[in-house]
Amino acid sequence: MRQLRALVQRFLGLFGSRHGDADFAAELESHIALDTEAGVRNGLTPEEARRQALVRLGGAERTRQAHRERRTLPWVEALWRDVAYGFRTLGKNRGATAIAILSIGLGIGANATIFSMVSRFVLRPAPVGDPTTLLALHTVHEGDQCCNNFTTPLYRDVASQARSFAGVAAYNELVPASISGSGEPERVFGQAVTANFFSVLQLPMVVGRGFVGGEESAPEIVLGAALWRRRFNSDPNIAGKTIRLSGRLLTVVGVASPAFHGVDQILNTEFWVPIGNEALPAPALADQNSRNFHWLAAVARLNPGVTRQQAAAELDTLAHRLAQAYPETNKGVSFVFEQAGSLPPREKGPALLFLTALSVVVLLVLSIAGANVANLLFAQAASRQRDMAVRLALGATRARLRRQMLIESVLLGLGGGAVGVLLSFWSTHALSILRLPAPVPLDLSVRVDWRVLLYSFALSALSGLLLGLAPAWAASRPRLANALKGEDALASRGHRISLRNFLVVVQIAMSVVLLCVTGLFLRSLQSAANIDIGFQSHNLLLMSVDPGVHGYTADRTVEFLNQLQQRAAVLPGVQSAVVTDVAPLNGGHRSDGFQAVGATGNDKSNDSTELYMVTPGYFETIGTPRIAGSDFGSETAAGPSVAVVNQAFVQSIFGDENPIGQRVSGGGVTYRIIGVVGNIKSRTLGEDIRPVLYRSLKQTVASNPSFLGYTLIVHTSGNTAAVAESVRRQIHALDPAMAIYNEETMEEHVRTAYFLPRLAAMLFGTFGLIGLVLAGVGLYGVMSYSVSRRTREIGIRMALGAQAGTVERLVVRQGMVLTLIAIALGWPAAWMLAKMASSFLYGIQPHDALTFALVPPFLAVIALMACYVPARRAASIEPMQALRTE
Amino acid sequence: MGDKTDVWQGTLSLMVLRTLETIGPQHGYGLARRIEQTSGDLLQLNYGTLYPALLKLEQEGFIRSRWGTSENNRKAKFYELTKAGQRRLKKAAAEWNQTTAILARFLEPAEEA
Repeated sequence: MRQLRALVQRFLGLFGSRHGDADFAAELESHIALDTEAGVRNGLTPEEARRQALVRLGGAERTRQAHRERRTLPWVEALWRDVAYGFRTLGKNRGATAIAILSIGLGIGANATIFSMVSRFVLRPAPVGDPTTLLALHTVHEGDQCCNNFTTPLYRDVASQARSFAGVAAYNELVPASISGSGEPERVFGQAVTANFFSVLQLPMVVGRGFVGGEESAPEIVLGAALWRRRFNSDPNIAGKTIRLSGRLLTVVGVASPAFHGVDQILNTEFWVPIGNEALPAPALADQNSRNFHWLAAVARLNPGVTRQQAAAELDTLAHRLAQAYPETNKGVSFVFEQAGSLPPREKGPALLFLTALSVVVLLVLSIAGANVANLLFAQAASRQRDMAVRLALGATRARLRRQMLIESVLLGLGGGAVGVLLSFWSTHALSILRLPAPVPLDLSVRVDWRVLLYSFALSALSGLLLGLAPAWAASRPRLANALKGEDALASRGHRISLRNFLVVVQIAMSVVLLCVTGLFLRSLQSAANIDIGFQSHNLLLMSVDPGVHGYTADRTVEFLNQLQQRAAVLPGVQSAVVTDVAPLNGGHRSDGFQAVGATGNDKSNDSTELYMVTPGYFETIGTPRIAGSDFGSETAAGPSVAVVNQAFVQSIFGDENPIGQRVSGGGVTYRIIGVVGNIKSRTLGEDIRPVLYRSLKQTVASNPSFLGYTLIVHTSGNTAAVAESVRRQIHALDPAMAIYNEETMEEHVRTAYFLPRLAAMLFGTFGLIGLVLAGVGLYGVMSYSVSRRTREIGIRMALGAQAGTVERLVVRQGMVLTLIAIALGWPAAWMLAKMASSFLYGIQPHDALTFALVPPFLAVIALMACYVPARRAASIEPMQALRTE
Repeated sequence: MGDKTDVWQGTLSLMVLRTLETIGPQHGYGLARRIEQTSGDLLQLNYGTLYPALLKLEQEGFIRSRWGTSENNRKAKFYELTKAGQRRLKKAAAEWNQTTAILARFLEPAEEA
């Protein structure tokens, strides 16, 4: 305690050091005066008395020094002086400092951006109370890759039997609803939760409370903070008021904390209702209680003192017991869990791979930037040799000089870090506006949080230190004699210069790698643009409604959609209008395994067929070619089910047979095939063609309603915006309360589907460009330094008769040799790394010939340009002047 | 053994605290003289070392200082014991007594034998 107090006092002493000096000088003076007086009283002359006083003191200056060292912290003072000196030195070379800070800034900015994604998706704990003891539970079937949801009975078994947990809550992850409030009704997604959900999560509430026991089917709702702000103007007295959700009146009991939009942090859900609530489009009770119906996600709160290993062991025992009790459904089923709020297990692998690949790339960019700055520092170190030598000769230690140099490079690193963080504020914002093609609301926004700031700080300090090491070492060991004479003191025996060359080779080699990857992603984007999606996207307007969440029955839904389609079709500027459930390229919708009726086993079947509902004229409207048979139109709602299939479907089940008139069954329904149409991209651009089966909308709404609502597709003859307005009016004429969502043109819709290739091309393109610029600047720096160092040598050559062209070639050759070595090293490395990127490429091979053939000459041209300017300067050297320079 | 001995490491602050307790507020020179006198002029005190020791005690909060006037009307900085310093002195003195007592037991029989 007392030591700490003393430390604080000494630290404070740093700031009043001048006052402290004066104070002690006065005290010392009074001491000497007192001692001298005593001496005089004992009969000494004043001079002798004073002399003896000083002797007894042990020297005034030494005492002052000892006092001063005790008064402050000497090493902090020295450090502070070095920092101030560092700032002055950096300020003198404004140009070099700016280039260095910008280089590191680009590198750190790239790293901070990628790390903010890592922080958001991997490191950030769920915004619940004590996230470390909240586990997300999954079931996994023997032999399956990963995970399934819980059934209601299974959830009850775990909740009542597992002793490791203080509580287990379950929820249905996505419930669509339409919500009233101020303005037009709006479609939002929420979750249906067990009444103990909020107590298990220990979620902080902004207003009111969460649900409590016994409210399993209470007409109540908890709002998300964003929804509360948007629809209810952040009404602080909202608790206790009733609002209308999907036509039902519900009492608001609370508002969740702003950070919370669901346990898994990626889905963006905005309200929570008790799971037994009638307002939900929930599955039938028979389904709900079946041991086959996996519809609940589960989270569990560990009991205090129980470890995860203990919980895992207990769940294993429980799984075993359940497998014996319910062999039909639970045999081979076990439980797995991870901390709630982690990436969903299914997406974890690819997401981590993507982030790792990006992290490697941005570290490459930073290394290139670092090599650049290290070279700059080398050049500076060279020009400061005489300064260093003088200081050494005056008695400074080498360690002190090295510290001085390191402090300067760390200052550069931190300056770059500050620039980088500013850049990442901008880049994370740009990333957050991108929309992922998915039919459900996702929150993928990234932000610069404290983890990112800490990481950037550590990374910039570290890179400052690393890139300063070699130059600092070199600069602190000048050959004294040479340096004092003004000759090159670092160039002795050529060692130091080869280190510079090594750095530039590494730098260019890394650019080769980066450029190859960039090339691959640009090519991938280009080939993605040429992918045949199987439908056209011009002059199509999409608009979705979900009558189901407004309490419509199946019949009324069909009637509503039918009227809407008819009204829209006759609007001015409309060529045709059709209704489907969800437009293609939706990121994933419904699918079922199908087989030919009468076939057994794997013969004549496929594992997964994409299912769509359409109305007559759909194929003509979106431009998918009809190939054989007829369109919908003649079927009746209650009649036998009919289907139109695509060619891939035919291929997977019938091969070359004629499918028209054949029967297929899937999902418990048998369809007669009446037509064949062309293939489309159903989920994503990159997918292999999938089998697709189109069903008649009016035959399907009742038996298998769409979870995501229905989409009106209008083919306009031009002015889409004007048509959109009149279509909206028609919808509200039919039902003023109907919420309209996903309003967009087909072109916008398809553009979202390019999300992944665009994101990859954008990121890698940016990094590639940064790397290229840095490498070019780096090579230029090395070559100009080399030329300026060899001025005298070149002068002699020219005096002896060398032509300007010869000198130019001399310089260019030196640069190009470095470049060729670098390409020879970088190219194979890129070749090996390209495999890692293969899963993100569309329609091109990871060893794309064009990319790998073009990058080396492209880089060589850039290198040539970087060498040419210094070469010109070398060639314009005046021999007489050059010989006179030092 | 020589006539005068150097001040042992770490004992100077104890001497300072004890002296301040005995004679009350005192300036650096007075303290140095007093310590020499108390030791019966056996201690060789380098006056210069006294000031960092005083500073350390002050930083630790055992003593405090202020400018005042000496007996012969000279401006001087006076040091005085704080409450914490009194406690510290009591504790350190007890420890020191114990240590010397223990050491004395070891040394006595040897001298008698």
